[in-house]
Amino acid sequence: MTPFTEPPKRSDEPIWWALFSAGGVCFAVLMPGSILALALLPALGLTSADSLNYARVSALLYQALYGMAGLAFVGGVICLPLFHTAHRIQHGLHDLKLGGGLLSKICCYGLAAFASAIAIGLLLAGQLQ
Amino acid sequence: MNKTISISRYNPEQDSQPQLQTYQVVSEHSTSVLDALLQVQQQDPSLSLRWSCRMAICGSCGVMINGIPKLGCKTFVRDYPEQLVISPLAHFAVEKDLIVDMSPFLQHLSAVKPYLINAEKSLQPHKQTPAQLAKYQQFANCINCGLCYSACPQFGLNPEFIGPAAITLAQRYNLDSRDQGKAVRMPQLNSKNGVWACTFVGFCSEVCPKKVDPAAAVNQGKVASASDFIISMFTP
Repeated sequence: MTPFTEPPKRSDEPIWWALFSAGGVCFAVLMPGSILALALLPALGLTSADSLNYARVSALLYQALYGMAGLAFVGGVICLPLFHTAHRIQHGLHDLKLGGGLLSKICCYGLAAFASAIAIGLLLAGQLQ
Repeated sequence: MNKTISISRYNPEQDSQPQLQTYQVVSEHSTSVLDALLQVQQQDPSLSLRWSCRMAICGSCGVMINGIPKLGCKTFVRDYPEQLVISPLAHFAVEKDLIVDMSPFLQHLSAVKPYLINAEKSLQPHKQTPAQLAKYQQFANCINCGLCYSACPQFGLNPEFIGPAAITLAQRYNLDSRDQGKAVRMPQLNSKNGVWACTFVGFCSEVCPKKVDPAAAVNQGKVASASDFIISMFTP
């Protein structure tokens, strides 16, 4: 084993851990509410089908609070939970001795970043129309 | 009452691998696993084990009991009516029978500079309020038994991980109002083998015989390291 002679390199893990923590909070707080409001309640007929009509939803996503509401929704329900998931997969791969190195890091966080970029891109495209 | 126990035996000069050997011991209500091991040593003096205080304060008699790291002196034979298998602490190299090489553990502890660092050369005692003491007191109860390293799957995968006890000790001094050494301890905690190698399994806190809660110290260390990261971005 290496003796502790000189200070080791700083890890970049705080960035991923911060995204993981923020994503965890979003998963716990926003996701259940979103699933309830967007999937369960309409499916059970407890909210009127009209509350999710195209005009209303697109107005919420694209125009409410100058588009900030849509951005916060996509960020909190899609992007941050994606980074949370990527972090769990990355550390899970390390535990299974299947990765955990640079390659799996690029794959996991790269995929989360790519999917987040698509989600935000689609939202912005809709907002700019 | 007679009880059969199995002990992992290993003499690196003769054996290719450790083997279980069974022994008969007399077990009463108050017989600890350490008492049982000492009975076995009377029958078979070749059995090697570490022990000292018999009262869960020296931290010497850590062993795996049915695969869980425990102090032999704090565990009772009566709690194992079925099988009782005693083996050396996991994740450490076995020297003989139940004795493991603790030097990697001690090296990790010393890497975090576990002592008060304070440039002030005063002969007066450093006063501390009860609130200042409460911040670190729980983390000061560690007896360096090493059970948390045997419990930690991340230390098992990566022996360079500085580990629960060392991080707890770093937190113990970083939170001490008399200490000024946080800046020299943080580089170890900030590295990939520091706090960031932990995946918050939490088994370290479960096995800790002194309820030190190393997992809490590691998570506090993660917050400290993350703020250190942000501060470092704005300082040259």
